[in-house]
Order: sequence, then structure tokens, then C-alpha cells
Amino acid sequence: MIEQAEIFALMNRNRAEFVKSAGRPAIGWLSIYTPEEILDAAGLVPFRITGEFAQNTSEAGSMLCSNFCSYLLHSLSEGIEGIYDFADGMVIVDECDWRKRLYEAWKKQLNPPFTYFLELPKVITPESKAYFRLQLKKWVAALESHYQIQITGEALRRSISLHNETRTLLQRLYKLRQSDRSPVTGMEALQIMKAATAGRKEEFNRELARFLDDVEARNEPQAKPHRVLVCGSYFDQPELVEIIEQTGARIVCEDTSIGIKYAEGRIEENEDPLTAIADYYLEKATCARMYDSDIRLNHLLDLIETYKADSVIYFTLKFCDIYLMDYPYVMSRLQQQGISVLFIEGEQQMSNIQSIKTRVQTFLETRMF
Amino acid sequence: MNLFEVTDSDRKSQYRNMSEVLEACRIQDLSSSTNLKASRIRSLLNAYRLSKAYEPDSKVAYVVEQFPNELVYALGMIPWNIESMAILLAQHGCADSFINLTQQNNVSRDICSFLRGSLGVIMANCYPNPDIVLANDQPCDCLSKLANITSKNYRSPFFSISTPTELNEDTLDYLAGQQRRLMKDMAAALNMEFNEADLDRTVGHSNEAREYYCKTLELLRDYRLPGVAREMLEIFGMNAFGIPENVQLCKTLYQEALEMSKKPENKRSGKRVLWAGQAPDGSHEIMQYVEKEVEVIFWAPLWNSNMMKLDPDDPYRSIAQRAIEYHWHMERFQANLAEVCDTYGIDGIVISNAWGCRNMLALSPMLREVCGEKKIKYLTINVDFMDRNNYAFNHVKNRIDAFLEILKQSHL
Ligand code: SF4
Ligand code: SF4
Repeated sequence: MIEQAEIFALMNRNRAEFVKSAGRPAIGWLSIYTPEEILDAAGLVPFRITGEFAQNTSEAGSMLCSNFCSYLLHSLSEGIEGIYDFADGMVIVDECDWRKRLYEAWKKQLNPPFTYFLELPKVITPESKAYFRLQLKKWVAALESHYQIQITGEALRRSISLHNETRTLLQRLYKLRQSDRSPVTGMEALQIMKAATAGRKEEFNRELARFLDDVEARNEPQAKPHRVLVCGSYFDQPELVEIIEQTGARIVCEDTSIGIKYAEGRIEENEDPLTAIADYYLEKATCARMYDSDIRLNHLLDLIETYKADSVIYFTLKFCDIYLMDYPYVMSRLQQQGISVLFIEGEQQMSNIQSIKTRVQTFLETRMF
Repeated sequence: MNLFEVTDSDRKSQYRNMSEVLEACRIQDLSSSTNLKASRIRSLLNAYRLSKAYEPDSKVAYVVEQFPNELVYALGMIPWNIESMAILLAQHGCADSFINLTQQNNVSRDICSFLRGSLGVIMANCYPNPDIVLANDQPCDCLSKLANITSKNYRSPFFSISTPTELNEDTLDYLAGQQRRLMKDMAAALNMEFNEADLDRTVGHSNEAREYYCKTLELLRDYRLPGVAREMLEIFGMNAFGIPENVQLCKTLYQEALEMSKKPENKRSGKRVLWAGQAPDGSHEIMQYVEKEVEVIFWAPLWNSNMMKLDPDDPYRSIAQRAIEYHWHMERFQANLAEVCDTYGIDGIVISNAWGCRNMLALSPMLREVCGEKKIKYLTINVDFMDRNNYAFNHVKNRIDAFLEILKQSHL
């Protein structure tokens, strides 16, 4: 089993090499509200920038500021260090103020051939959906003009179907995690979710289908674990996942962008493709960037119930103001419902892991025993 | 206690809470003042609006800093800027207890202290109960988040508009459309009538005040007018364009500036420094220290968006344009800074980074780039005018001294 999970870890580790070898122009993205379908239909390779390969963030810190979201600082550092030199550029979705600043710095300082800023509204209304569709149309036109191509309805439909297949498989994975004895560990889930965005969708779908078949056939009787749900901002923290699961608890759901938020819903395949894409991405926006904090809170409460979570860990990157500002409110609502929450503020590469370890252990152990 | 539900929403009690704070801090005049007559008018206007907002029948709309208040005035409501009230309290040194309150209640210290201070005042139930809470994403995401959770706190209706970043026909249409819809939604939620004629009237007041505002700025280019730049900053922050009292205020300031400009001693002389970023009150030690040596004018009131007149035939679209132009935007800000430096004869720039304001921090390198191109001396300081834990004058004094020294030498 470990070997199979390792396939996903390898997909992550080698994501740059793979994307490079695909022989098609590649475009990096940061936000899960980036319609990969459009890039794929344009014949490009979309891949998520994870920031995990950066060596040093001091130069990025001087271009922006060092008290900045460390996911973005690490991502910019990867750009500075030339890790994405093979790619044609970036698309940055207007997810938070810091991404606007990142876009400006990326364009000005690194200036790859194609850098695009995609506006995403913060409310879900018929008007905002129409506006987002218009933004997508402009983006399509920019891609068509840059690459001298035509993005056909047929190509979009084919791509929608491919990405829907990924969603269906990922939803199957999350369904398994709903069972009392979730057979999937948090670490496996993290690797799988990251591999889903590593620029090799067809291969990923094949591997995930195989993995799920195997897991479903697994018959490993286990004790019923303490079930943990992790929510919050960008969460790519294998060390923290390990610490949580070493206590004997199991992470059963991540309400984060490398988690269920990426996998939810599906794009309507029988509609006008651009309308369907616009509606899907805006409707699935349940993160703290939306004006109304209840959108995220209600979604989180549903997940807590569906995944029968015993505890919640609220993780936020330092300086991620929107998740920080949301926290007191979300926490008070969860507490009202008798749900225990541990708040952790960390960084992309955590330096204070020891103190976090003690807090996590204390929190979970007092709840488990 | 659940801090996200106000238990006593009686404005009289809230007024008492606020009065106790003001008394404890010995604040009589909640307004930063210069010696100008305009300053006294503003002070009175603020006091009047403050007391009015606590009256049971007043319609109060909480707003964020750059909300287009003409829309609020058109419905006869009092806009209550959740952030600027807390800033006023901080200017009088009374923010500590509010900051402490947030710290006791899970609010991260990494958040901008202006926002923490504001949330603290809300948690302490010192503001008048809002009838409605309004937000756009200006000047920052975090402030709009604060507005939203505030609406939960008071169980008040919340309405928002998304301001796009780029300026083009589509973004103008989208934003103007949202504003039109907002007027209807607000009126329906408050069971009020909305007539376009009311908006026309507020737009008229707004434009009239703008006229005086722009004329005052023109004088500021060529004259050293003590107190005027500060007053412009206060008027900008007050964001009361749309009411007749603001016309009076802007007119008075213009007349005073005009009179001053006639005096020979007010011809431009000495070094002029542009203050970019959050500025403390005029009585703050940093300001006093810098203004002893050089003339300080403030960048925010000079932004192009402040010069824009609204189109009476299409107010929504022109309000939309102004809003988009207010947005943090590297290219627009760089161009504006360069223009302001030329127009106002700037010798040096203080880039003031308030703790936790990552927009300003992230734009600072681009501002420094403009200084480099224009060969203008600059000083970047990290300050916090709200949370005393993050700032000490001694930490910045040496750097200010060095900056002033360099400026003086470039004089020779
Ligand atoms: S983690 Fe927060 S600050 Fe960083 S990119 Fe995401 S939303 Fe923005
Ligand atoms: S100082 Fe910056 S972070 Fe704070 S409220 Fe103003 S714009 Fe937002």
C-alpha cells in the first residue's frame, strides 16, 4: 500500500520534470479557482505552484515584504530561483490582496511571456456569475491571441469531462474517509491531493482509480480513531499531519485548498462550457476570501457533520489576514455547537514545529483519553 | 460571553459605554485639530454626527474606509466608519484596552492594529447599533472581513460590492450595476423609499465640495499653507462628500488657504516632504519632530481619485470609476506618485508602514523605485499608531534624524 501512495508522492516531487517533459507550453497557477479546463483545452499544461521547492525567501521578501503570506513568498522564490523557467507563465486569481501584490511583483520582476490576472468576485449572484464568465471570455481571448490558437467548445467539453473524472475519483476518496474507520491516512490524502494538480491529469486519474480499488478491497480491522478535521488557509504541512496522526488520531477531511475544496462539485457538461465553468468555480468558492464568513462557516459545519469530526484544527499561515480575521468568529460559532478547536498559526516551512507538536499532542490527547 | 452577539443593543447604553471611554481618556474633542477655522467646523460636524448616530431613530450604516458614501447619504443614513473612530481613539491614547480585549479573544496580533483596535471597540460595545453594514474591498480584504463579522455581531443586514482592480468598460459596468442594485437592496432591507433624485442631490453636494477641495490642492502646490495639508487629510479620511456640511467645510478651508496664500511669508520655501502611508495625528511625536524641520504634505488626499467630479448624468458609473482608481494598484500608484512629486515639488518621501498593513508594505518597494528614478530621498519607517507594543519613537528617531540631515544637505 505504501508503494502505491508513494506514486503520488513521486508525482509531486517530480512535478517540474514531468511538466517540462510534456512537450507542451506550461502555465503555473496558485488558486483552486483557476479553471484548469481552459488551459488544458488550449493545449497547455496547467500545474499548481506549491512553493515547496524554494531554498530561500529573502529576495522575494525584499520584492514584497518579509511579513507576507509564506506560501506566496515561497512561490515567488521558486520563480526567482528559476524552478519554473520552463513554463510560459502564470495565472493568478484575485483571491486575496496579497495575490494582487504577488501578481504585480511576478510580472514586473520575472516577466514571463504570459502572466495573467483573473478577477474573481466575492459574492455569488447572477450578476457576479455573468461578470466572471466575461472575465473568462477575456482570458480565453488573451490565450488565443498569445498562442495563435482557437479554444473550441469541443476542446472545452473534453477537458471538462476529464476534470470531472478527477473530481469524481477524489470524491470517492473522500467518501471512504467518511466511514468510521477511514482506510486513508491524512498523509496519503495530502500526497494524493497535491498530485492531482501536478500537471498529469490522465495519469493521475488512472493511478487514483487503482489506488481506490485497492483501498476499497482493504480489510484492515482497526480501532475507531479520533477523527480530526483540518480547516483554514493554504495547508501543505506533512510534518503537522504526521504529528496529528502519531497521536493515534486520524485526519478525515481537510477543508482547505489542498483538500476537499479542490474536489467538490462538478461542472455541468450539457451547458455552454464557459457558463458552466464560471458557475462552477464561483459556486464552489467557500473560502474566507468571500465577503460573507457564513458561506465558509456553514460549509465547514456540514463537513464536520458529514465526516463525524471529533475535533477541528484551524490552521492558518501567518499573515493570512482573511483567515486570521475570520477565526474568532468561526471559533465562537463552533464552540457554540460544542466543537473543540485548536488554532495553529504557522508558516510554509515551519520553524516552530516543536512547540506546535506539544500543543497538538496536549489538545488531542486530552480529547482522546 | 459570546463576543459575536451584542446582548445590549440599546444605543443609550452604547453611548454610555463610549462616553465612559472618552471620560476615562479625558477626551473632550474627538477630532484632530489645527488652528484653522475649517478644523473647528470639522470638529463640530464630527461631534454632531457622533451624537446623532446614537439617537434611537437615526439610521446608521457601518461603512469601510473608502465606501462611496454618496450612496449612503442618498438614503438619509449616517455612515459610521468603523475604522476611523477607532483611529481617533488611538490618537488620544485610548486604544490599549481595546487592543487587549482582542488579544483576550483570539484575535491574532499579526492582523493590522487598526483593525484589531476597531474590533476591540466593537467587542466593548461602544459603537451605536448599526441598521445596516456595508462593505467593499477597499482599502483591504481584511477590513471587509471585519465589516462582515461585525454585521454578525449586531445581527444587522450586510451588503457588499466587489470593486474590480482593472479599469475598463466591463469593470465599470459591473461595479455600476452592483451599486444600482445595492440602492434597491438597502432600501428594501430598511423599508425605506429610494428616489434617484436623492442621489442626484448628494452627487451635487459631493461635486460642489470637490470643487473647493481641488482648488485648495492647487494652492497647496505653490504655497506653504500651515495646517492645510493636515486638514485635507482629515477631510479625505472623513469621506463626507455628499452632504452640504462638507461643502461648507471644504469652502471654508479653501477660503482660508486663499487668504494665507496672499501673505508673502506663505510663499513656498524650505523642504517639502510627502508622507505616504498611514499618518499619525498632528500632535504625535513623530509628526511634531518631522514638522519642526520640514513641511509635510500627505499623499492620500492628493490621489487622482480625489479630484474626480461625479457625472450627474451617470453617477453610478463615475462613482465606480473613482472606486476603481482608489484601489491599490502598482502601476497606477507609481504613476501617481511620480506626478505628485513633480506637481508639488517634493524633496523627500516618508514611507510609513503601519504594522500589519501588508498592502502598504508590499507596495513600498515600488514606491522606492519611483524615488530612485526621480532621485528623491526617501525614508521607510515601520510604525504602529494603534498598538504601543509594536512601536517606540526611539527605534525610528535615529533614522529620521539621518533622513532630515540628508535633506538639509541637499539644500546646500
Ligand atoms: S494563504 Fe491566505 S494570504 Fe496566502 S494566498 Fe491564501 S488566502 Fe492569500
Ligand atoms: S492599514 Fe492597511 S491593513 Fe490596516 S485597515 Fe488600512 S489598508 Fe487595511
